[in-house]
Amino acid sequence: MTSATRQSPAQTGLVPKNRRASGFLLLIAALAVAVVASTWLAVSIGAVHVALPQAWGIVADRLLPGVLTDGAPRTWTPAQEQIVWEFRLPRALLALLVGAGLAVVGAALQALVRNPLADPFLLGISSGASFGAVLVLILGASALGGLSLSAAAFAGSLLSLALVYVLAQRSGRLSPSRLVLAGVALAYLFQAAYSFVLQLAQSGRAAQQVLFWLMGSLGGARWHMLPLPAVVLAAGVTYLLLQHRPLNALAAGEETAVSLGVNVHRFRLTLFVLTSLLVGVLVATSGAIAFVGLIVPHAARLLVGADHRRVLPVAALLGAVFLQLVDIAARTVNAPQELALSIVTALFGVPFFLWLLRRRSVDRAVSVT
Amino acid sequence: MKLDLRGVSVALDGHPIVHEADLLVDDGEFVGLVGPNGCGKSTLLRSIYRALRPAAGLIAVDGDDVHRLPARQAARRTAVVAQETPADLDFTVAEIVFMGRTPYKADAAADEELCARALERVGLAGAAERIFATLSGGEKQRVLLARALAQQTRLLLLDEPTSHLDIRHQLEILHLVRELGIATLAVLHDLNQAAAFCDRLYVMNAGRIVVGGPPDRVLTPELVCQVYGVRAVHRTQLVFERIKEER
Repeated sequence: MTSATRQSPAQTGLVPKNRRASGFLLLIAALAVAVVASTWLAVSIGAVHVALPQAWGIVADRLLPGVLTDGAPRTWTPAQEQIVWEFRLPRALLALLVGAGLAVVGAALQALVRNPLADPFLLGISSGASFGAVLVLILGASALGGLSLSAAAFAGSLLSLALVYVLAQRSGRLSPSRLVLAGVALAYLFQAAYSFVLQLAQSGRAAQQVLFWLMGSLGGARWHMLPLPAVVLAAGVTYLLLQHRPLNALAAGEETAVSLGVNVHRFRLTLFVLTSLLVGVLVATSGAIAFVGLIVPHAARLLVGADHRRVLPVAALLGAVFLQLVDIAARTVNAPQELALSIVTALFGVPFFLWLLRRRSVDRAVSVT
Repeated sequence: MKLDLRGVSVALDGHPIVHEADLLVDDGEFVGLVGPNGCGKSTLLRSIYRALRPAAGLIAVDGDDVHRLPARQAARRTAVVAQETPADLDFTVAEIVFMGRTPYKADAAADEELCARALERVGLAGAAERIFATLSGGEKQRVLLARALAQQTRLLLLDEPTSHLDIRHQLEILHLVRELGIATLAVLHDLNQAAAFCDRLYVMNAGRIVVGGPPDRVLTPELVCQVYGVRAVHRTQLVFERIKEER
């Protein structure tokens, strides 16, 4: 009949996809290199300068004694070794985990509530965590039965998770608009609660500590803090990657997803619990770092389109690199004082976000919810 | 493939919308569902693709109750072209069509070929990498149809597939669907078009199916007057037909 029907698929428009596949792998490789490079930079830069080769030597010597350094003489001091291994490396690795986690959660939530303006703190989880953290910082751990700061923050996030779920569900089903409304309302409630506690306390030093924590900091990173976020993040990313097709379908619309065989109510519930737990774990270790979860998924989509199979890994790597660079900036720009991370992420994030705002028909996007 | 509705009642937020609907679509049949705004056509359709659970009655596709089938199994039997726009996330046409493979195990090569053929079928072979949101209304509708084709079902549900389209694109979509030869149930607005394209028609009014049968037997002046409250007049007037392209 027509010439079009005789064409093999190889001649149709789907071929560029293959070309893009190699481009995608190249992008992933480039981002992986950037992750390593930025981490290397992060362990080298600081008040005590450690040259790049020495930083490499210290880490290699610790990981595989004698093998990677090939028996070369140690050119670093014990003090340098202690700084790199006990403080800078865990901090740099935590930056990667938190950056990747926030970006992935942002991407998943934007699909879950079908709104490109969703971010990990939209559902009130971080406010709950902050409330828990403020209680510990102001009242002291002993007043809360010996809960540590991060344990209290995590408990707070679980509390808000439960409350948001109870408020947003109707006969066990979550609707995106109710999720957002319940999350926003609870965020205000928790903010009011911890502001009240802060005001009562009237302790300048504690208040400053709280403010710093609320705006995000990786300063407290130690090795023992890494396994939990690492495991939760790995499990979360694996699950989301396996579910990339339902995620795409959900972003296309609830009824579309239903007609494509997605069990929407169960899937939404899983996504809600998974992202909330992930945010709870991340906030508990590093405070509420703004903007990463909002802008990094969009940057990833600008690079690879909307398909979650590509968006999720790219967002994870991009978020990791971004937060690593942000943390380097936060501790060097105003040294020896450290800047709270949200200050730096906002300095980068807001201009990008405003540009996005002008580029897209956000009015339409917002009316979707 | 056969769609069989027996005594289906559907309620929205506790308000009964559809009452005891009986409806049948046989293999390869193109069946239309017409009726005034708010009569329950779309609600009935939504209960067939599981967006709503009926309060009573049985909806069987190929002999199985669709509301008891696992979600994926149901999606392998029934595809939908409905009025829903994707979130503002810049999906490409190819990505939208690939969504049709969601209910199946992934098989990159085979899926790619199926989706390419589906796009060809709707005449959009060259548009795979375009951003869905930037397409015209007619193109969007054809992409959604391609997604339904990629889903490889033998039953197709259409919810006002030609609304927002100009007359030429309306005819193109309807011809395209007819030529597929898949059992189709379509909610339609234009009675003349419904009469021209459908093998059989069901007319709904106030939540009930009032009559079903071949278009010329169903769309009588009396019925149209009773259901829509308008007068039907026989007149000689222009009728619009698609021009078949010679290639």
